[in-house]
Amino acid sequence: MRATGLGAWALCLAMPGLAAGLPADAALDPAAAIKTLSPRVVVNSGRLEWEPHKRDLSAWPTLSHLDRRASIRPQQGAYSEPLNGDALRGRAIAMDPARGNCIACHILPGEDWPGSVGHLLSGYKRRGHADAYVYQQIFDRRVLNPKTVMPPFGAFGVLSDQDIRDLVAYVQSLD
Amino acid sequence: MKIRIILLAALFTGLVCAQENTVYRDMDLPVEKYTPHVTGDKTLSATYPFWKDRNKLDWRLAGNPEENWKLNWKFMDPPFNNTVHGGHFALDRGEDLYKSLNRDGRFAACLGANRGRLKGLRTQYPMYRKDLGRVASLEAVIEHCASAQGEVLQHGSYDNSAVSLYVASFSQGMPMRVDVSKGPMREAYERGRQLFHTKAGRLNFACSSCHTRNVGQQLRGSYITTPYGDVAHYPVYRTQYRLQSLHLRLIECNLDAGVQPLMPGSQAYTDLEVFLSALSNGYPVSVPAERD
Repeated sequence: MRATGLGAWALCLAMPGLAAGLPADAALDPAAAIKTLSPRVVVNSGRLEWEPHKRDLSAWPTLSHLDRRASIRPQQGAYSEPLNGDALRGRAIAMDPARGNCIACHILPGEDWPGSVGHLLSGYKRRGHADAYVYQQIFDRRVLNPKTVMPPFGAFGVLSDQDIRDLVAYVQSLD
Repeated sequence: MKIRIILLAALFTGLVCAQENTVYRDMDLPVEKYTPHVTGDKTLSATYPFWKDRNKLDWRLAGNPEENWKLNWKFMDPPFNNTVHGGHFALDRGEDLYKSLNRDGRFAACLGANRGRLKGLRTQYPMYRKDLGRVASLEAVIEHCASAQGEVLQHGSYDNSAVSLYVASFSQGMPMRVDVSKGPMREAYERGRQLFHTKAGRLNFACSSCHTRNVGQQLRGSYITTPYGDVAHYPVYRTQYRLQSLHLRLIECNLDAGVQPLMPGSQAYTDLEVFLSALSNGYPVSVPAERD
């Protein structure tokens, strides 16, 4: 019986897509450097063309029912003093759509076209939050608030430890 | 005895695989109940009164960039938008393709038209197709029926969407009526509702993170709109994509949110289409429409 169980388990692993994790219905080119594909509609054609997307997104879970990869669970960041962050570099990360893109959701003093989904960050420095707390907010806010919609930038590998330190220095400097 | 052992082994395999199937997925909780009718927006964004009648849109709201989101972009649908745009050219192309495919009436019958009449057909899609053994969108069925005649009309291609647009034009002004009360359609709706709240991608967003929790808020200056009443104008003419089927729109949503997209016609997108179509039930089809 035990052998049957092991065999069944091996069979599950051997099934295509289960072990590799990438679902069969994902729009991707597995052989390319950037696997993720973006569709291009060609006028008066019955065929849809595909081109590489600007970023490879295949490493994170998709919406496919065939996707067997688990979400990354809420994670405590490993913060240690001193902060050693650069506020100017942090501002650049906050404004960069390819990196932090904080401006998409947050109002940041002096910046145009902000979002209003996130908390107002003007006057953040006066709130007196500890650097370690702010670091965790950016690293993975789910630890502090399970209902958050804020991306877990650190836990998901979107930003590096130094990027987050720079962002902490930046928001802690906001009047 | 032998058969019993094989059965037992098969059962065990199923159990182990089922265990493998329960993968931890981060969800935007709670998964809201939603109403499979456009009036459900009354308790979500409450903008419904502003856009429920496309013939009576308030032009003062349409002209104000701070307020026009409350019209749920219906000012870019006919009749408010009476400009000639790429959607009209696509409609012409769709008519030509349809007529050449339907010379013997086989194509219309395959799409599910009642005695060759296309009237009202769009309002019932997606639907469960017994012959296909699954729930399918209109575009998936167009691809299937064209392929039965040896023609390639890939889901999401210009020509496929053009035919879909032509078929939709026969339902102009008719309310969407996708039945999700029972069977495979109900199951698809339920999966779609769960998917709408499933977090995915490098930023861990669910559709609902913005379109349920933050309707009316801004993202980089753009206002977030309601999921209700949002699919009765598809396929839509988009400036950057030219002609866009709903599944191509979902691909664009995914890419913008940092999520690896799926192929048009994938089950997940079809489930989401069933869910979103049900949230447009009671809202009239209006094509060809434009969006930024």
